[in-house]
This record gives sequence, C-alpha cells and structure tokens, in this order.
Amino acid sequence: MLVDLPGGWSPLLGRLAWSQIPYANPILAPLFVAVVIGAIIVLGLITYYGKWTYLWKEWLTTVDHKKLGVMYIIIGLVMLFRGFIDGLMIRTQQVWAVGPHSSGVFGSLHGYLTPFHFGQVYSAHGLIMILLAATPLLVGFMNIIVPIQIGARDMAYPYLNALGLWITAAAAALIMISLFVGDFAHNGWFEYAPIFEMQYSPGVGVDYWIWTLQLVALGTTLGGINILATVIKMRAPGMTWGKLPIFVWASLSANVIALTSFPALQVALGLVAADRYLGAHFFTAGMGGNLMLYTNLFWIWGHPEVYFVILPAFGMMSEIFPTFSEKPLFGYITMVLASMAIAGVSWLVWLHHFFTMGAGPYVNTAFSVATMLVGIPTGVKVFNWAFTMYRGRLTFNAAMLWAIGALFLLLIGGMTGMMLAIPAINYMVHNSVFVVAHFHSMLLVIVYAIFGSVLYWFPKVFGFKLDEFWAKTMFWLFSAGTALVFVPMYMLGFMGMTRRLEYVFNTGWQSYLDVMEFGIVVYTLSVLAFFILLYVSVRDHAKNRVGADAWGTSRSLEWMTHSPVPFYNFAVLPHINERDEVAWRRQHGIDNVRPEHYDDIHMPNNTGVAIILGGLTFVLGFALTWRIWWLCIVSLLAIIVLMIIRSFRGDPGYIVTGAELQRMEEEAYRREAQIADSHHSHPVSGGVVGNAMAYQRNDSSKRL
Amino acid sequence: MDIKWRNWLKKGWRAAALAPILLLGGCAHNPYWIFDPKGIMAKTNLFYMIVDVVIMGAIVGLTALLVVWFMWRYQKGKNRGKYDPHWSHSNTIEVFVWGIPIIAVGFLSYFAVKGTFEINPYNPTVITHHMKPNGDPVEVDVIATDWQWLFVYPQYHMAVANELVLPVHTPVFFRLTSSAVTTTFFIPQLVGMIDVMPGMRTKNALLSDHAGEYQGIASDFAGAGTSWMTFKTKMVDKADFSQWVQKVQQAPGSMTYASFNRFAQPYIDVNHHVVYFSSVEQGLFDHVMTEVMRGKTWPIPPMMTENMVDYMKKQAAEHRD
Repeated sequence: MLVDLPGGWSPLLGRLAWSQIPYANPILAPLFVAVVIGAIIVLGLITYYGKWTYLWKEWLTTVDHKKLGVMYIIIGLVMLFRGFIDGLMIRTQQVWAVGPHSSGVFGSLHGYLTPFHFGQVYSAHGLIMILLAATPLLVGFMNIIVPIQIGARDMAYPYLNALGLWITAAAAALIMISLFVGDFAHNGWFEYAPIFEMQYSPGVGVDYWIWTLQLVALGTTLGGINILATVIKMRAPGMTWGKLPIFVWASLSANVIALTSFPALQVALGLVAADRYLGAHFFTAGMGGNLMLYTNLFWIWGHPEVYFVILPAFGMMSEIFPTFSEKPLFGYITMVLASMAIAGVSWLVWLHHFFTMGAGPYVNTAFSVATMLVGIPTGVKVFNWAFTMYRGRLTFNAAMLWAIGALFLLLIGGMTGMMLAIPAINYMVHNSVFVVAHFHSMLLVIVYAIFGSVLYWFPKVFGFKLDEFWAKTMFWLFSAGTALVFVPMYMLGFMGMTRRLEYVFNTGWQSYLDVMEFGIVVYTLSVLAFFILLYVSVRDHAKNRVGADAWGTSRSLEWMTHSPVPFYNFAVLPHINERDEVAWRRQHGIDNVRPEHYDDIHMPNNTGVAIILGGLTFVLGFALTWRIWWLCIVSLLAIIVLMIIRSFRGDPGYIVTGAELQRMEEEAYRREAQIADSHHSHPVSGGVVGNAMAYQRNDSSKRL
Repeated sequence: MDIKWRNWLKKGWRAAALAPILLLGGCAHNPYWIFDPKGIMAKTNLFYMIVDVVIMGAIVGLTALLVVWFMWRYQKGKNRGKYDPHWSHSNTIEVFVWGIPIIAVGFLSYFAVKGTFEINPYNPTVITHHMKPNGDPVEVDVIATDWQWLFVYPQYHMAVANELVLPVHTPVFFRLTSSAVTTTFFIPQLVGMIDVMPGMRTKNALLSDHAGEYQGIASDFAGAGTSWMTFKTKMVDKADFSQWVQKVQQAPGSMTYASFNRFAQPYIDVNHHVVYFSSVEQGLFDHVMTEVMRGKTWPIPPMMTENMVDYMKKQAAEHRD
C-alpha cells in the first residue's frame, strides 16, 4: 500500500469487511430489507409474466435512440426520487435539531442524523440531483428528440449511445450501493481540499464519490460526442443551420460545453485519486500541494456544467412556448446567439464560486463582470419568450404552466444570481442558505422545464397524452412546495444562516425551518400526484390516443412522424422547406401527405456488448473504491478485450425492405385514421406537392 | 460616491423593505443580520446589495408584470388582444431586448468594481482610507483548528479560544490560517466571509461603532464539528477592552506550539468552551503555518461521529471537556 489505510485490508476483499455493512443502522437496515423485498417482487413479476426475453431483446440490448432516451429518463426519475428523499431527510434534521435543548435519537445529540450521516445525505443529494437526475433526464430528452427533430433515423453512433447509457446506469448503481456497503462522501457534492484527503476522510466515501463522478463524466462525454456528430452530419435534406429547431441548437451548445468541460473534471478527479491512492500531494496543505488548485479545477468544469444542464432546459422552454402560443418563437436568431454566448461565457466565470477564497480585487472584479455578462443573453432569452406570447393565442395546459413556472423561477434565480455576482454582496451570502436557495431556483428552472417536456413530448414517444387534471394538480402542489421551502430559505440567508448545519445553533430560525418542513411535505404530495398521474394516464390511455401532431399547433419536425414514433423514425426522409416545418406544411395544406413509394432502409443491430461493458465499469468502480486490486485488473482487462473484439466485429446493420416499411406505415396510418380528429393522408408521387418538396426525391440514404 | 445620494437611497430602500421585515420579525431584535449591519464592512456590503436589488428588481419586476399582462391579454378564446400568427421579429424590440440587459450590466459592473476595492479583505479602503489618527489598530491572528477558533492578540501576547473581544471605534486587522482543513470566517453583522486555509494566510478587517455581542460562524463545511464551531464576538468600549485584556493576561493558561499541538486535536466544541491564555509563544501563527506547509496534519479517526453520543463520552473521558 502506498498510503496508510486506517482499518484493515486483505488481498481478497480489499477494505471490504463485514463491519462496513451498516446492519445495525436503524434507518439503513430496514431500508435494505424493503429494497430486497421490492427487488424480489419486481424480478418475480418479470419471471411470472415471462418478460425476460422481451426485456433483453427490446430494451437492455437496444440501440434505438428513443428507447435509450426513455431508459435515461427512467434512471433520472428514479434518482430524482432518491435525491428528493435525501432532501426530505435534510429538512427534517434541520427542523428537529434546533438549539441546545432539542432532542436526539439514533446516537445523535440533536435530531436523528449524526454529522457523519447528515454529511453523506446532503452530499448524495447534491451529486444525485445534478449529475444523476438532471443530467440523465436532459440527456434522455436530447437522445429522443434531437434525431427526430433533424429528420435522422438514429444517432450517428447508436452503439456508443447505448454504451453511454449503461455507463451512466453503472454510476447510479455505484452511488446507490454506497447506501448499504460502506459510506458515501460527507464533505459536500463538490468536496473540498484538503478535507477529502485520507487524513480527514479515511473511509471509502470519497472513493465512491470519485468513481461515481468519473463514470458519469465518461458516460456524458460519450453522449456529447454522439449528439454533436448527429447534429452536424445527420440532418435531413434541406435542413440548413438556419432551419435547425431551437431545441437542437440548445442541445448543440450544451454538448459543446459537455465535450470540452468534462475532461477537466476527469483530470481533477484523477489527481484526487492520485492523492488518496498513491500518496501524491496535489491538493494537500503541506508537501507542496495546492488546495486552491482543486477548487479552481473543479469549478472550471463545475460552472460550464451548470450551463450544460440549463441550456437544454432553455431549449425545452423555447419549444413549449411557441406551440401553446400558436406562433413562431420570437427572435430565433438572437435565441441561437444567446445560447452560444452563454456557452462561451460559461468558460470565463468559474471563480465566482469562491470569491471568498481570497483572490485580489483585480481577479475578483474580472470574474464578477464576466459573470454578470451571462445575464445579458439570459435576459434576452426571457424577453424573447415573453414576446413569443405577445400577439399569440395562449393555451394554459399543464405543459405551458410548467414552462411559465420555469420563466418566473428564472427571474427570481437571475435576480439573486446578479446579487451573488457582485463580490461586495457575495461576501455576505456566500456559503449561506441564500446561495442554496439561489441555485435551487436555477435548478428548479430545469426541473420545471423537464416536467413540462415530459407532458409535451410524452404523446410523441408513447402515443397518448398524460392526464391534464393530475398534471395540473401536480404542478400547483409542486409550486406551492417550491414557494414554502425556498422563500423562507432566502429569508434565512438574509438572517445569516449558513449552509450544511447538522445542528442549528440559533433558535430564532425555528419557525422558518417549520415552514420549510411543511413545504417539503407539500412537495411529497406532488410526488404522489405524479404517481397518480402516471397511473391514471396509463389506465385511460385508449381515450387519450393522439395522431402525429399531438397538440394540433406543433411546429417542429418531430410532430410529422407517427406517435408513437416507429423504430425507423421516418419511412422516407422528409425534405425540409422551412424553419418550423410542420407549421409551414399545415399552413400550406401539405401536412397530410404521405410517400407513395418506399425504398429499403438500413438500420443498426441490437447489441449486448454495451450493457456488459456498463456492468464491468460498475465492477471496476466498486473494486477501485474498496481497493480490491485483483478485481480491478480482471474487470479492466475484460473491458479492454471486449472493446477490441467489438471494434473488430463492427456492426453491419440490417435492411428493412421497402415492402415491409410500406406494411408498417399503412398500419400506422390506419391506426391514426381511427383517432377522430386526424386527417386522412394521401400519397404523393415523386415526393413533390405543388412547388414544394415534401420528401427526399430518391431515398438513397444508406448512411446508417 | 456622493454621500447624500447614498443616504437617500438607503432611506428609500429601508422604507420599502422594513414593512415586511417588521411583519416577519415582530420582536425588538432585527432577526435579519444582513439588513442590520453594525460595522463599516457589513454596512458597505448592504449598500451594494440595495443598489443591486433596486436596479435588478426594477427590471425583473417589470418583466414579470409584462409576462403576466401578456398571459392575461393573449389567452386563447378571450379575444382581448390581436392574434398575429406570423409575427416573430421586430428590430425595435430586439434593440430593447439586448439594450436593457447590456445597460443594466454595465451600470452594475461599475458598482461591482468599486465595491470590490472598497471591501477588499487585504486592503479595505472603507477602513484604511479613513483611519483615525488616534485609533491604534488592533491585530488579531486567527487560527482555525478542527473545530475551534484560536484568537491570538500578538500586541498583548495573549490568546483566547472560541471568543473574540474587540474595542469599538478601532480598526481591527485579522490574519487567518487553519491547522487542518478549509473553513470560512464570518461575523454576519460585522464583516463578510473570508476563507481560512491550512498552510495559507488570508486577511480581513473590521471596524464597528456599536458595542454589543455578535454571532461568529464557521461558514464553510469543515467536517463533523462545523455546526458547533461558532464564537461570540463582543464589541466593547475601549476602557472595557483594556480591562478585559488585563483579565486575560492574569489567566493561568499559556499557549506554546507544544500546547497548540494538543489544542489542535479534533475536538467538537459542543459546550462552547472559552479559554484564556495569558501568554503566547512569539510567532505562533507563522510557526503553525510553517509546520502545516511541511506536512503536519491532525488526522480524523475513521467514522468519528458514526455515533455522536458515544463520541462525546469519549471526548469527556479524555478530560477535554
């Protein structure tokens, strides 16, 4: 061993020992039993209904970007739920442990969580919400929507897409297993130097943190490469850059950030690992280490990451507003410029995360002004959405309500962000719950946009709409929860309450914490409403079926193909005439044409390699965390060998014949014709209607 | 800046802001520490906060009203406003859409730069440009450990743990370092945050004209004991301060590097112990910093607060309580 390991180490099991299993913990032990019972029930049901083959063939080995996207979103929602439970635990601890006379249980002086456990809960909450809830949810939507919006049949690299998903799943599994085997990091989701060094965090928590983050970073980088390549190379004929749907522009700008920033995180984490595993001194206080370097490196990734998650959310809002305002997005070009400006400036602002670290006034003012520059394109976006509604015809359905909610939260978050950008103000509220309330406002913009998008695009993916009543109930409960939790949190920030207090020393803050606890209960009700929403919608799905254009006022290309989208997306690739192609076709009366002739198309094969590689990266992460060196070597070798084998075999893909396509298409048109409000489509020869080209004239697309 | 304008702005803002605060607070103490500054540094922070909130609040407020108005006017089926299905561009609006944020950011940038220099922790011009000739500054060396504060008064060769006593009307200059991990030094009503880092020296300063007791906080997470790593800051009259200094100088404890080595062992200060040290090794601050730079650490035992009650018993059994 290159570093001193407190506690034992064995060649076979590394640091893993029976004592690392928290079987005596009064919270984790019952949870573990519940998880095991739940898993047995789920696996039993799959076996009982004989769904294993279906699951393996249709989902676990799929390379279909829509199914992968759906699985990304499922991972995101499961982790969002886990993160929410962590949030509930944080609020409950803080409302309980106020003042020296508050009671304590389960070995705590106050409340029910000891500092060791409280730290793990809030660290896991932060990491999960940003990297394993928001990120997979957004990547999932980009995965599903981007190829359809640009008229492609799949991503540029379908197998890489599957690999990205399963590596992200491995990261989620790694952080989940830290609940029951060992412990998680307890120093916050972004960690600090030198508290993450062995001397101050001797457990495996920080190691779990390192490898979870490494896996997320790897998965997201692969996804980013894929989306960039897809947008650049796979656009349908006629789709010039000026006709790109706005969500695609948002995804493009976000993934430029992802591709360039995640490597910085991976390097920073590699150096942390060198400190902890090899006894290096990159970030130690002594021996020539520089702890401030870590903070810089982390936020050089960390701040672009913030925009990596908010830009797709802005893109989602830019899709929802025009559809339910029944007019085009105001200022398309400035919207694109604003996205690119945000992506560019995101690189120049990282230092505002630590104005208090003691940089001189020249450095601080430079970063302060750069940070405020972000306010310009963001402000432009807000005005553009407002003017999209201007002279429109607004329908306030649930998706639109979420988008408007996001707009108002952005105003609040933007206002407080402009406060934090000024060092003279920042010194007073940095590390206070004011900052916590600020970035929750911003992250809730993303959550609101995501729920809006779930409602907006659900019919496209599954062919039926979600229930409006329960969607609106959920929206109002969620918004009430947001107000009840975060208004008092802003107020507590002005009272001087600092972050991450396991024990609240000022009894004067009790009543505000009470209100916040009530707010999180309201949030819990909104989670219940979400489950009811899913149940009711699936129960009534036959009533809520939709045709290709689910909303009747949709604008971009994804609404041209069937709902649910067939695995090949478009039987014949469309020819793009205008920016809002579907709206343009509706206006010119060619929205109900279909091709007369179908050519053969080329599609990628399913593969089991991706999920096996994902499983192996999980094993590698686990083995590295526990320092089981033989298992590290075995899993790493297996990964390398499998990658080499796969790359030599490649994927020849397979052909869907024109006849088969025609049969599937006719069935889809028949199904759509049964839905009352959809038009009967008529075939056009040669892909030309009047002066307009509806389809690519000769589908020679063998690119896939 | 023009003092008159500053006062006017402050008064106007207070009138608007106090109403809800009074409703919320209710009692005699203002619970909003940030809005109730008692030192020149914190006062300056508040001034910039007011400027920013006034400018941004106006823009954000008007935008919110605009959105609400559009939502009301253009609701489908109400026929309140004209529907124009193709309107999506206007150069005039574009000019405003870009112009307003640019002007606002430009204006705020001026204040951002000015404010950063005024309360620059290394040379806060709000203090250093107005040094009174008769007010000799007090120097305090702050050493944060896991999880206590040691305040060394080099001018008086004495030190106090977990309590800060300072004279009013006197500039106070801090040098700060940490023995173990990074945390942040923060007294909400007197001075903003500055990080305290091992092997590093940061600075800060304060000046207050209001005697009283103010809460000090370790505002950055530093491990298990962070929540209890608080300290009281007492601003006292100059005469009271001299008396207090004499009292400390008669205390039995002394602080050498050897005793600091014991003091810096991980210790959760649940009972807020205040300890006086009548004598302090010359240059203790630099000595600690040098040792830390050479690699000295005070490690934390594994799973230290897995059970907090047990840990407190252990700490008491070691006679450290």
